[in-house]
Amino acid sequence: MSLGHYLLLGAALFIIGLFGALTRRNVIGILMSIELMFNAANINLAACNSYLHPAGVAGMTLAVFVITVAAAEVVVGLALVLAVYRNSATAYVEDFSLLKG
Amino acid sequence: MIEAIAFYSMAAVALLGALLVVSLRNTVHSSLALGLSLAGVAGIFANLGADFLFAGQLLIYVGGIAIIIVFVVMLLGRTSDLHLRQVNQQWGAALLVCAMTGVSLWRLARGYLGVRAAAPAAPTTRAIGLLMLGDYAVPFELVTLVLVAALLGAIFFSRKSADGEVPS
Repeated sequence: MSLGHYLLLGAALFIIGLFGALTRRNVIGILMSIELMFNAANINLAACNSYLHPAGVAGMTLAVFVITVAAAEVVVGLALVLAVYRNSATAYVEDFSLLKG
Repeated sequence: MIEAIAFYSMAAVALLGALLVVSLRNTVHSSLALGLSLAGVAGIFANLGADFLFAGQLLIYVGGIAIIIVFVVMLLGRTSDLHLRQVNQQWGAALLVCAMTGVSLWRLARGYLGVRAAAPAAPTTRAIGLLMLGDYAVPFELVTLVLVAALLGAIFFSRKSADGEVPS
């Protein structure tokens, strides 16, 4: 296996996540697609670390930080989704028009 | 040979799960497919020799994030959602954006198709721990602060006051 295989896998996963984030109507679907994109970035970090700089672990440490921030993001995001759902009883993003005035 | 089989099977699991996440109409099914895809990514980490990331991915993503997403989907779901389309009108433009991004990433990544592993994978957990408490001590403390803030924010946004009103 070469580094390019891992990079291409990360690219494919990122594109699938990007497509989902752009097209899903459900806000939880968008959050799930964003998680896929985080995972693609983590694959790239870990693969570049172990192929290009096998003596150090800085890339994997950065991936650990990415996982942590992703966990915080999804927790706050889901709490916000629940709060919005309690107010407007919808989970579809085109109905989130509170700021429109 | 073994590594190639493991890589391709785990990549297939991750990509198939991701495709199911973005294409399934039932949100409960797509959140379960998200767990499958995250487990496939954990297998990719194991294939890379990133043992700490493998364990962290399984514990935090598969065991935590996927489960909490399933919980919220079940809290929010309605039966009528199953008859609505889950994709918006702009899927053509999104497909165009994804195709352009894909071509760019392909041109970037194909230059690395010949790069082979320099050394067999070694355990990384001890080195990551030393790095986090040494050079990366300040980011480590900052990320703990972020986690505490996220915890408080989640409690604040999801609580109800005594009379059932949502806090403004």
